[in-house]
Amino acid sequence: MTLAKFLTVSTLALTVAAPALAEDKTISIAGFGAASGVVGIFGQNSGAAMSAAAEKINAEGGVTLADGSTAMIETTYYDDRCNAEEGISVLRRIATTDALVAVGPTCSNVAEPLFGILQAKVDDDGDTGLQFPVFTDVAIKGGLAGISEWVFRNTPSEAMMYDNLFAWIRETHPEAKTIYGGVEEDFAHSRATWYAVMKEAAIKHGFEVVGEAQWLLNDTNFSNQVRGMRRAEPDVVAISAHPFTTCGALREMARQKVEPEVLVGLTSSSSLETLSGCAAEAEGMIIPTSFAPVNDDAKFAADAVAAKGAALDLHSAAAWENFMILRDVINAAGIEGTADSRDADRRKIRDGLAALTEAEGLLGQNKRLPDGEAEKPYVFVGASDASWTVVHAPDS
Amino acid sequence: MDYFFFIDLLQSLTDGLLFGTTYALIGIGFTLIFGVMRKLNLAYGAASLAGTYIGLLAFLNLGAPPALVFVISALGAGVIGLVVYYCCFRFTPETVPMASLLASVGMLLFIDEVVVHLSHGMPYPYPSVFRDSVIEIGEVWVRGDLLFVFLMCVVAMGVLFWLLHRTPLGLATRAVSQQPRAAQLCGIDSARVNALTFVIAGVLGGVAGAMTAAAVGVLSPIIAMGLTVKGLIVVVIGGLGSIPGAIIGGLLVGAAENIFLLLRGVTERDIYVMLLLFLFLTLRPGGLFGAHAGRD
Amino acid sequence: MDFYFGLLQIFGVHTLLGLSAYVVLLTGQVSMAQAGFYAIGAYAAGAATAMFGMHIIPAVLLAGLVSAAIACAVGFPALRVKGLMLVVATLAFGEMVRMIFFNLTWQVERDGALVGPNGAEGFRAIRYFPENGWEIWQVTTLIWIFVALVMAALWWMDRTRAGAVLRAVGHDEVAAQSIGLNLTAVKVGAMTAGGFIAGIGGSLYAHTVTHIEHGIFGVLLATFAVAYPILGGLGSVFGTLIAVLFIQGFLVEGLRFMGDWRSLLFGALIVVAMNLRPKGLLGDTPLRLGGLRRKPSSTPALQEAD
Repeated sequence: MTLAKFLTVSTLALTVAAPALAEDKTISIAGFGAASGVVGIFGQNSGAAMSAAAEKINAEGGVTLADGSTAMIETTYYDDRCNAEEGISVLRRIATTDALVAVGPTCSNVAEPLFGILQAKVDDDGDTGLQFPVFTDVAIKGGLAGISEWVFRNTPSEAMMYDNLFAWIRETHPEAKTIYGGVEEDFAHSRATWYAVMKEAAIKHGFEVVGEAQWLLNDTNFSNQVRGMRRAEPDVVAISAHPFTTCGALREMARQKVEPEVLVGLTSSSSLETLSGCAAEAEGMIIPTSFAPVNDDAKFAADAVAAKGAALDLHSAAAWENFMILRDVINAAGIEGTADSRDADRRKIRDGLAALTEAEGLLGQNKRLPDGEAEKPYVFVGASDASWTVVHAPDS
Repeated sequence: MDYFFFIDLLQSLTDGLLFGTTYALIGIGFTLIFGVMRKLNLAYGAASLAGTYIGLLAFLNLGAPPALVFVISALGAGVIGLVVYYCCFRFTPETVPMASLLASVGMLLFIDEVVVHLSHGMPYPYPSVFRDSVIEIGEVWVRGDLLFVFLMCVVAMGVLFWLLHRTPLGLATRAVSQQPRAAQLCGIDSARVNALTFVIAGVLGGVAGAMTAAAVGVLSPIIAMGLTVKGLIVVVIGGLGSIPGAIIGGLLVGAAENIFLLLRGVTERDIYVMLLLFLFLTLRPGGLFGAHAGRD
Repeated sequence: MDFYFGLLQIFGVHTLLGLSAYVVLLTGQVSMAQAGFYAIGAYAAGAATAMFGMHIIPAVLLAGLVSAAIACAVGFPALRVKGLMLVVATLAFGEMVRMIFFNLTWQVERDGALVGPNGAEGFRAIRYFPENGWEIWQVTTLIWIFVALVMAALWWMDRTRAGAVLRAVGHDEVAAQSIGLNLTAVKVGAMTAGGFIAGIGGSLYAHTVTHIEHGIFGVLLATFAVAYPILGGLGSVFGTLIAVLFIQGFLVEGLRFMGDWRSLLFGALIVVAMNLRPKGLLGDTPLRLGGLRRKPSSTPALQEAD
């Protein structure tokens, strides 16, 4: 009976989730995010960064528990396919294992509902939301950590980065006056970044917004939008979109000979994807990013992740940093690491993360903000000859 | 109505009509399969995309010239079309149309996932020709590559007409689509005709996929869903089983999309396109060239 | 335990979504509008509790009624067409609904914060359950009470004349018309019932995930809505339930340990299932409790020569 077999197998598979108690002490940190589907590359990179980071921590002796013994870090990565229901289900599953903290998710549209099911304020007995610390690496849309006190993020603050980017453009291109925006309207992150971040920052630094071009995630024709851009003759063009439409729009701009002095891109486009899609058209595009292999630590991390067949970019670098930060938090918090102390340990990690005001990052000290967000050091990278090179590194 | 607006309108119309030919090709593919089997193949858009990726593979690994890449894309999509036929249509009973419908949905998800798995979801550059040439007719620009796309699609349609009306295979195909049982009684192997129809439709889809990718210049798995939905819309506007209908439907959809984009902006564009479609369907259920109203 | 309760919640809302398409499928029509009705239910109930502080149960029922009313209104024009035309007409409607929510911004101030749908950013903080001290098992119970009620109602309907009428229309419209059935009334009735069920499902969904946005309610969800009953078989409501367990329990959750391969297997196993059991996992013969009589198999189709 195929049907009976299906049911048996699925029941078996479901019970596998039961917690396994380790004899030799291990501390389990779960990773989750999109590891398959169109955005799967993000999760694959993050997962590789996490396991590389765990290996480094273990090679250096693991973490110290309350009784002075040491424990190794172990990590598992769960795939949520960038789907809200699955993300919630995955986090609930992680909460049934002996994992003390989770690092994820990839997608802002998973993060938002996911943070909503967590308890909004700690010690609020009237709120029956899930009590589990989440330390986000990738989902970048602004302001999400404020949803719950159990959420911390180590994603760069786009508001600050673009503010400084436009200040820098004002300085280096004093003659540039006008800016034209290109927005992918139906993707929460790109949309929020243009309207609430880039546009504000550009106006603040004295640029005049002469128009906005809008398109959708899977649009293939940009000629109308770019024609508007051509007529406005902007000095600066800022494109807030993901690589596929970024490339499409850039192609159309090249065709219609729109040649702005400065081309600004969205943080998440500073990955290999844009370059593999349209290196020639993206030439010169400037993007602020919180990761570039500019120092020894960063190079070491990038090599360790590359050895796993993945790439370290601004997203997966955050996953790496999260593990390093969690190591310090765990060492300081004095957790017991036993099955009985699980809930208490999770709480200690949450409190430890909440108490941080600064944390070590690959590019320097990260500032931790009271609402769980971070301000990370950053550099400006520009596309040149099919690779990203650092064009400016503000000292901060 | 000022001058710029008028130029924009003309320009939108031109771009839309040129781009609409790719929709028309996808529509023809749907309509061919539907005409012969009376069944809907929802995996069609994904299969076309997968074929395009096969062409891309040749481009990236062997550095094949654009013309060869297009041919490989089309042939690849034809082969995948055959696979879809054997996986979803050959062995599901004819009396249960839902079975093949859902099987083709499964196939759609599977093909999509294979493409994503192999490409890691990354966009890749796709070769195009005449990318930088523009023909200026007054203030209206006709993109060279779109013109090429348009011509290629017209050629594909011409070949299809020749195939359907001038060859024994075409005769058999038309016979099966008009009277399956009678065709069988005349000794036509309907399974073979069905399989060949899937291959032909697949090749058309591959051309459409390749031309879409060439027009954008970038290939990404996310265009599969768009191709499927646009193709379906084109078929019903044109009338089920009508190839001229699919051509006109494709051009109409391309033009309407661009005009609403100009008039109402991108966020509202699809509302109007869908509303128009809904009204059109309910007021003229048979489509433009449909034989019977709402035949299924 | 929470994990399993959470999983049961997902099964529950998806069963409701599937059942909403099941009712319409009984009349032989494939409706791709169910995701649209689900969206309407989700936004309506979310607005009722999060923006206007309504209790959950009236909010769910209200959402169901709103969806049903819209389904009824859409049913009249849409059901003039059938087959593929209907698939596309309902698809167009579903996408239209999604794009309307994409453009909808309507926020009110509550406790110093703006709540409500905010265009492309979605509708955040539909936190009725956690804010009112509902434990997860209570939420799960509530959802399954709704599922059980809907299933019982459909089961009962299937055994009365109404069920026979729906299936008669689904089986052969001309024959059904010739025995005096009003096709429009039957189909619009089924559509309205489907809209009501989808509305309830959507409203519960919105409250289990706390944040909804237009992107969720796309073509893929609409496809799943019709996939559940077809995969499970149109014989009875249990077909839909089995299919939801198969897809959400086995393919999505059960195969999670397979990592990247899971998504590949997902589509492939649906193809395999439909080849092995073309009439659905449970078949399309209506189940009769305690009845050993099997319906005689339908007239064998003319053998195809191949």
